[in-house]
Amino acid sequence: MAQALTEAAILAPRLERPAQARRTHSAISTSLAFWLLAPSFFLLFLFTYVPILEALTQAVSLEGFGGKPIGYGLGNFQRLFADASFWKALWNNLVYGLGTVAPSIILAVVLGVALQEATRLNALLRTMIVFPVVLPLVAVATLFAFVLMPGVGLLDHHLAKLGIAATNWLGSPDTALYAIIGLSIWKNAGYYMLFVLAGLQAIAPELHEAAKLDGAGPVSRFFRITLPLLKPTLAFILVIAIINVVTQIDHVIVLTGGGPSDSTNIILNYIFQAAHQQGDSGRAAAATVISVAALLSLSVASLRTLERGMHYES
Amino acid sequence: MKTRRARFPAPRRTLRLLAVALLCGFALIWSTPLLWMLVASVRDIPFGSTDAASLMPDFKPTNAHFADAFAQGDFVRWYVNTLLVTLGILMVQLVTITLAGYAFARMEFRGKNLLFYLFLLQLTLAPPILIVPNTLMIVRLGLYDSLPGIMAPYFASAFGVFLMRQTFKTIPRDFEEAAILDGASFAQMIRLVLVPLARPGLIAFSIVSLTSHWNEFLWPLMVTDSPDKMVLTVGLTSFVRSAEQAADWGLVAAATLLVAGPLLVAFALFQRQFVNSFLFTGIK
Amino acid sequence: MRLVRSMALAGALLTMAATTAVAATRIDFFFPVPVDGALAKEMQNLVARFNQENPDIEVTAAYTGTYDETDIKTRAAIKAGKPPAVALMSANFITQYHIDDLVDPFDPLVRAEGKTPEDFMGEFWPALSGNARVDGKIYGVPFQNSTPLLYYNAEAFTEAGLDPDKPPTTWEEWVEDAKKLTRHEGDKTTRYGIMLPGTYDILGWTISALTLSNGGQYYNPDWGGEIYYDTPSTVGALTFVDDLVHKFKVMPEGTIQTPAMNNAFFGGQVAMIVSSTGSLSFIRQNMKTPFKVAFIPRNVRNAVPIGGASLIIPKGNSQERKQAAWKLIKWLTSPQISGGWSRFTGYFAPVKAAYELPEMKEFLDKNPDAKVALEQLAFAKPWFATYNTVAVRKALEDEVQAMLSGKKTPTEAAKSAQANANALLKPYVDATALNLPK
Repeated sequence: MAQALTEAAILAPRLERPAQARRTHSAISTSLAFWLLAPSFFLLFLFTYVPILEALTQAVSLEGFGGKPIGYGLGNFQRLFADASFWKALWNNLVYGLGTVAPSIILAVVLGVALQEATRLNALLRTMIVFPVVLPLVAVATLFAFVLMPGVGLLDHHLAKLGIAATNWLGSPDTALYAIIGLSIWKNAGYYMLFVLAGLQAIAPELHEAAKLDGAGPVSRFFRITLPLLKPTLAFILVIAIINVVTQIDHVIVLTGGGPSDSTNIILNYIFQAAHQQGDSGRAAAATVISVAALLSLSVASLRTLERGMHYES
Repeated sequence: MKTRRARFPAPRRTLRLLAVALLCGFALIWSTPLLWMLVASVRDIPFGSTDAASLMPDFKPTNAHFADAFAQGDFVRWYVNTLLVTLGILMVQLVTITLAGYAFARMEFRGKNLLFYLFLLQLTLAPPILIVPNTLMIVRLGLYDSLPGIMAPYFASAFGVFLMRQTFKTIPRDFEEAAILDGASFAQMIRLVLVPLARPGLIAFSIVSLTSHWNEFLWPLMVTDSPDKMVLTVGLTSFVRSAEQAADWGLVAAATLLVAGPLLVAFALFQRQFVNSFLFTGIK
Repeated sequence: MRLVRSMALAGALLTMAATTAVAATRIDFFFPVPVDGALAKEMQNLVARFNQENPDIEVTAAYTGTYDETDIKTRAAIKAGKPPAVALMSANFITQYHIDDLVDPFDPLVRAEGKTPEDFMGEFWPALSGNARVDGKIYGVPFQNSTPLLYYNAEAFTEAGLDPDKPPTTWEEWVEDAKKLTRHEGDKTTRYGIMLPGTYDILGWTISALTLSNGGQYYNPDWGGEIYYDTPSTVGALTFVDDLVHKFKVMPEGTIQTPAMNNAFFGGQVAMIVSSTGSLSFIRQNMKTPFKVAFIPRNVRNAVPIGGASLIIPKGNSQERKQAAWKLIKWLTSPQISGGWSRFTGYFAPVKAAYELPEMKEFLDKNPDAKVALEQLAFAKPWFATYNTVAVRKALEDEVQAMLSGKKTPTEAAKSAQANANALLKPYVDATALNLPK
């Protein structure tokens, strides 16, 4: 079982002999702990804590024309919330998130279940499905610039053989976001499948055998045994997938720049444009603060899940 | 396996064959973008060709696209820079995460829990989110437009610390205590006893770290601008995008392959290690 | 360990490479190339030549992506206290650089040569000075300039019963020809009459070309706080484009990305495209079927915007670096070098003297298409430049993209583009024209 493995890992320290453990603690002083943690803490301070604080300060600092400071307040947030593009980006990110996460995970489960048996053919098929995972996202984007080209691109060229007319995938506000979603599914589904495979491995075969004796078919076994036991795995995948949805924008920058008509503009791209294209660092900081808050609440909410998921040794 | 399969009744077996065929078809379609990249990189594709998307190896391979890529892009330097950046990050990370991971796994000190949660903050905060303030920090430290500037924000890894903490916790304390009793110094104990025992964790972390930093784009793009500081991903977009404007698909395919190739080959060769690392570590 | 050693070795090699030219003034030069990677390589060759001819200066040329990206990189570098000594900047960003006080004027450098700024600008085509001079001072030296051109497939013209020597000159003729050039097979269009590029940056430029041809002015050339989107001239241009797609059906629906447009033109799936003169050499080299170029057809008058880029010296450079930068700029804009770059790329050479050189005359005789680009220069106007130029441009582009996909009418698009642009311009307007005595 998936939990069995992770619980073993979590429980392991408890099996130590307490007397000796205490001796070690006293032998090594708190000051040593300080020195061991200092390098990491110092670096985190420079590149995580200070930037967060800076984003916060920037977000509440008001600037006049030409960057003249004119005091503090919530004006940047007001302007952010008054900006239709921001809400559009938030909405797009939501659609992008749902559109990417749900299909990738469903695909990962279906493929994982279908390819769980360790045959040579399955190993080959798994490799084929996992390959996109190791590609740089920008490389995927440059490939998809051709894949998605209307008429002559890889997709249309082969769809045409099925009698499907050319589509301007990236050129229409109706399809561009879905094209980006398709790219993300292709890039990430294999990654999630690996976790599903590991989760499946941990399900005791006896459970299936017993259910089979009870006359349960493969479908009912999937829903009654496999899926419930995969739950912790899926929760873990869900967290990673959400992080990816918020923090990956290389493909958007390379393929669409957020267009057409802002239809592929997601939050991080919005921040990027506000900061660099419109030189509006206050509004960019306000949006950053909101994203950081969202991600932090995600990490607080999912600490347990992350802790468990971190130990899938296959 | 074979005996089991023989137990299936005939219709079940047909169904099974059908499923296998379906899976093979799916995997094949899934691979077409990569197949196209391979084929197009060595295929002569005239400008404006309507069958640039053909996957048929019906041609005499040409190395013209690779020659073009090397002539227009400074691939050698990009490879060197990418190696320096990825390995440089990894070296420092291995030290910082081992030390901090050990402290959290084995020591008791005041404020430990608070500090641990403070570390974990970084877990979900992938650096791109803080790109604007982080760039400012790099500027302030005088690291703008330098390879260390690309590396610095990644030197500490909350995730690596977390991972090493878990790894150390699975190692029985007896080994360390024996070493200390034998008169080993603390540093020797870590280096000679703990690090070798924690190797699976370290290898797993290394593979994930190398993969993700090899593939990183936005951050190196933002903090460097000299051509001699470009890494592969930045170099790739710098000229592939103009090759795309020019609809020079052979060149696009060849250059993309040059960037993605090393990891694809590494993955194919060391698949087990890669997969184990991804699973072991979860987050990139 | 081995890793550490090899890294140390690589580090040592890099340091060695860095110490070879000690005495020379080291400057860096940011340059974008909007089309074709071969241009980036050629620019590196040019800079290498300059370094060889000027041993006292060591220029490092950095290819910084598109025009928009070069702007972002240059600003970031200035902020970081490491400004490039020279940047090749989209000609219409210079106003914003001046407003943000990020660029040094050329006037003192010009005067030190014993020239007046008027003499100096007089060496360039008159249409260029509008974007180069802001508030009476020279902030940019034109280097590669362009205007939009109509490229058309001559074979398709003949096939459709049109005379390839008589390209459309008015919008009326343009539509008539496009209709004849559009070909269907069943319900599938196998060849479109027209494609206009829809990617950010070039879309805005194309719309401004049509607006100018429609008699419009597009923006206030004397003050960066006004843009004229919701005006008859712009709405007319937008309606024309919308009709090409939805009424006459001679242009595909949706945003046409530039690679797709170029690919379609090479492949004969479109008969006429609008593209920059900067693409001329690239298209000439790669187009298998014969093609020709012509002026952008007019509705009210012949007029096109200038495009391309000028060389600037960002603020924050030492006197020594400025002098080195000035030397590089003078060399790059000399008739010989600028003429050579023009022949290599298709951009026209901004200095008039370049066209007096024998090699240039010979080239024009051999390539009449380059002559068309030059002749159109007589009708060229400055490129729109306001406060917050990129965002103001994008305000229109996003609306036009919606219109191209049938989501908005031209009037709606113009209205919301105007409203969004006004919001973007507001800080500047409030600080200048509406900053009144209290």
